[in-house]
Amino acid sequence: MKSDVLNQLQKTAIFKNVSDDILAEVAIKASTRKLVKDEVLIRKGEKGDSLFLIHDGWVKIVTVDSKGDELIINKCGPGETIGEMALLDGETRSATVIALTEAEVLELKQDVFEEILKQRSDVPLAIIRSYSERLRFSTTYIEKAIDWSQKTAEGDYSFVEQIQPLVEGAGSNDDKAAQLLSAFFAMVRRVKEREDGLKQQLEKLTFEIDQARRKQEFDEITSTEFYANLKEQAKALRQKRAQG
Amino acid sequence: MNKGKIVSIHSFRGGTGKSNTTANLAAQVAMTGKRVGVVDTDIQSPGIHVLFGLDETKMGKTMNDFLHGKATIREIGFSIGEHSSGGEGRAKLAGKNLWLFPSSIRGREISQILKEGIDFNLLNEGLQKTITEFDLDYLFIDTHPGLNEETLLSIATSDILIIILRPDNQDLQGTSVTVDIARSLDVPNLLLMVNKALPKYDFVELKKEIEDKFNAPVTGILPLSFDLADNASNDLFSLRFPDHDWSKALRGVAKAVLAVE
Repeated sequence: MKSDVLNQLQKTAIFKNVSDDILAEVAIKASTRKLVKDEVLIRKGEKGDSLFLIHDGWVKIVTVDSKGDELIINKCGPGETIGEMALLDGETRSATVIALTEAEVLELKQDVFEEILKQRSDVPLAIIRSYSERLRFSTTYIEKAIDWSQKTAEGDYSFVEQIQPLVEGAGSNDDKAAQLLSAFFAMVRRVKEREDGLKQQLEKLTFEIDQARRKQEFDEITSTEFYANLKEQAKALRQKRAQG
Repeated sequence: MNKGKIVSIHSFRGGTGKSNTTANLAAQVAMTGKRVGVVDTDIQSPGIHVLFGLDETKMGKTMNDFLHGKATIREIGFSIGEHSSGGEGRAKLAGKNLWLFPSSIRGREISQILKEGIDFNLLNEGLQKTITEFDLDYLFIDTHPGLNEETLLSIATSDILIIILRPDNQDLQGTSVTVDIARSLDVPNLLLMVNKALPKYDFVELKKEIEDKFNAPVTGILPLSFDLADNASNDLFSLRFPDHDWSKALRGVAKAVLAVE
């Protein structure tokens, strides 16, 4: 079980640059909690003082909409981390987390975490580095999102075809910037489809040519002596031109 | 050996924007570096010289005088590249090889050509001489609307005939007759251009429908534009507003003309 935890910690963004021996220590100090279905793990508004790693089972992250109904923001399962920011800022929880199934989570308390920070001076630096990388990544995506928003406003959807594969290949599931871009692309694609649909609703014009009148007018023009001569001369001219 | 091509621009009815289109087409082709001449025969419209910013009082002799041996073609050709002024768009033509050949001015009827006995061969020789003397790649003829004898002469001598029509039943009916005439006179290249199309119509469908009806390529569908109407005869619209949809579509027509072998 503890090696699983170590594995899981290594994948957590905040610990990305932290050495394995420290993570082993963190793993030892983490406590296990078992949840029954519908048990509340985190309550919105409470002071946040720990991080949870989901080891087994599923939880839902919910908030309440303006009508007072429960609104599920996200669902998290094995390997995913909840509330990691609380370890650093200790802010109150922004949403409620409820077990969807029976679940087992690992809890890392803020005071335990801070103890480790004090003992090892390289850990804060590693964490800063992780966040810095993440911030840089997010900034790049935000810049792109701005650029693409402007293009979309101008009706230029060419980037959707060009850039889509890059986005799909970038970032892990827990990367919110990648998720945003993914949602952005889905949105632009829908907008484009709707716009194409509207274009198809453009009016069609249908014409009717009165063939009898067409023939009559043609005959009137071509029945003159002038026209007969002209046709002969034009024919001769074309032949002359063709011969160069 | 005739090097230059004669391009007649025609519409069955007036008001299709024919003169404006002719001037802009000639200008666009000249902008590509080609040597271009324009014969203005449609005296009913404001006059193509106005679009090029030329003062008709400065233009003396006409194409008719040349055809009757009363003037040399050098006396008729009016260099737009040297004289064009008074317009942001026109200014771009400075130094380009573009000449205007006025056919009739100050109210002289173009039908004079017929009364004075110009026949097909005389007209054709005159046009060929114009091409040779000015070493033209293209000689555009802005024809009369309708199918009078003088217009039939122009069509008969053309290498390329561009028919401009508005997307309405009357123009399509008239165009059908012109198309039949052009085929009867063995015009080798027949191109269609739709002007003043309301943006609410599906241009892709419109192009397909007209092409199916006449079995000839629609080289451009140019939208009805208030911007263009607003510009009136003050300047060459496609040079002044190159990014406008009308200008873009017009350049498509110019490209189709240039693509003709």
